[in-house]
Amino acid sequence: MLNNAIRRHAPFWLSILVGIAIWEIAGRSTSQAFMVPFSTTMLELFRLVTSGEFIRQFLDSSQLFLTGFCVALAIGMPLGMLLARVPALRIGVEPYLMLLYATPLVALIPFILSMMGFGFAPKVLVVFLFSVFPVIYNTVEGARSIKPEMIEVARSFRSSEWALWRDVMVPYTLPYTMTGVRQAIGRALVGMIAAEFFLSSTGLGQLIMTASQNFDTAGVFASVLVIALIGVGLMRLGTAIEKHFARWRQ
Amino acid sequence: MSEVTLAATTPSATAGKTPRKTGTFMPRLIVGAVLLIGWEVVVRLLAPPYVAKPSTVLMAIPGVLTDPAFQAATGNTLAAVAEGLAVALVIGTVIGLLMGRSPAFESSFRHYVNGFYAMPMIVVLPLFSLWFGYSSGTRFATIVFAAIFSIIINVADGARSVPRDYLEVARSFRSSRSSVLFGIVLPASMPYLLAGFRLAAGRALIGAVVAEFFLSIGGLGYYILYNSRSYKHAEAFVGVLLLAGFGVGFELLVFWVTKRFMPWYRRER
Repeated sequence: MLNNAIRRHAPFWLSILVGIAIWEIAGRSTSQAFMVPFSTTMLELFRLVTSGEFIRQFLDSSQLFLTGFCVALAIGMPLGMLLARVPALRIGVEPYLMLLYATPLVALIPFILSMMGFGFAPKVLVVFLFSVFPVIYNTVEGARSIKPEMIEVARSFRSSEWALWRDVMVPYTLPYTMTGVRQAIGRALVGMIAAEFFLSSTGLGQLIMTASQNFDTAGVFASVLVIALIGVGLMRLGTAIEKHFARWRQ
Repeated sequence: MSEVTLAATTPSATAGKTPRKTGTFMPRLIVGAVLLIGWEVVVRLLAPPYVAKPSTVLMAIPGVLTDPAFQAATGNTLAAVAEGLAVALVIGTVIGLLMGRSPAFESSFRHYVNGFYAMPMIVVLPLFSLWFGYSSGTRFATIVFAAIFSIIINVADGARSVPRDYLEVARSFRSSRSSVLFGIVLPASMPYLLAGFRLAAGRALIGAVVAEFFLSIGGLGYYILYNSRSYKHAEAFVGVLLLAGFGVGFELLVFWVTKRFMPWYRRER
């Protein structure tokens, strides 16, 4: 049992250890301005955490992320289902959704900046724009995949529109929506950092920007490492959510 | 890992399913008209005059397209994206093939590839700008970084799913390791590679624009930034339209290539 666990996790830890060793050696053998070793990065991270700076910026970023993401979910899900329920609307809207999905939305940030300024709202808008389309897209996919027979059966039992949504539309669509949620989590994170870079500088984005402007390589490495770990954590979370709901999918 | 591919393939899978009846045209036209008129009316009533609206954007198009500065910026960005994508494609395919076929390689690289893929690509910008300066070198590195991991992940998925029979035949004919890799595994994972390339192209475009914003170096992204800062929103928006066109263009290109050269792949889904 224990042996088994070791065998399963050994490659993972080994590859992480080798990676850290390479990082340490590379950092020690190059200029401090170019790269800092793992140990220095960890010390810097420790300093950031104990000074309270990191926690403050993290909470700031989380607030932005959660607000934008929740708005995207609250608008994307009902909209996606509505589009699936009204075929004429869906056919009409679909090409424009595709267009927006394929457009690099970062290009809209300068417009948002000059129209809305530096407050909290424009940043939420950026996170929202980045994350709403995968939710809508996958929800439409899901709602389209409901067998017409299901809706016909519900109809022949004279179920109301409300009951149809509650018992057929929502449960059948949720697993697909969750695929959208997984994709949206990653994109919302990109949106969050982009908003913090290019609109008013706050949160984890500010942490990196300040370090970079001060040529504080250790600070840059520490904050990039943290954001990478947050990215991995969120991706895991997204996959877990998706898997949890995928059990419903036939 | 397979969900990455799944996510990568869904949009164009639907594009293929879109009904091509005459019934699709009218709703699309109506929705398009409503969107454009709504935008025009809202901006006219509520927003300051510099804000882009369909009429001013339309009028700005000829001027912008004939502007040599705009053409240079577009060429600049497109060349950088093409260059970065080509490098990412070659290196990403090789790493992906190795990861898909060699368990040792896979277990030592997997976590790093997944980790870098999950990382929002723009956080590397400050780091790259420390390394390569405020230059087009940083933009190039950002584009490669943005593009490479989705290619690696998809190619590795494809290489892993090569039918065992193919490999057994190759083994019975005593093919060399490299000819198996490039003669069998690579062609067999082509659809995955294309799916990865589609994702990568979108990400590369974003990477280029973000890098130009960040570094203030010449290109389409900087053109948009500069013009919107000087309140020429209509001109800047033409740049956005062009970017959207490239995004859609990449999608259509990959869709067409898949349909033309790998028609069997669509039918499976």
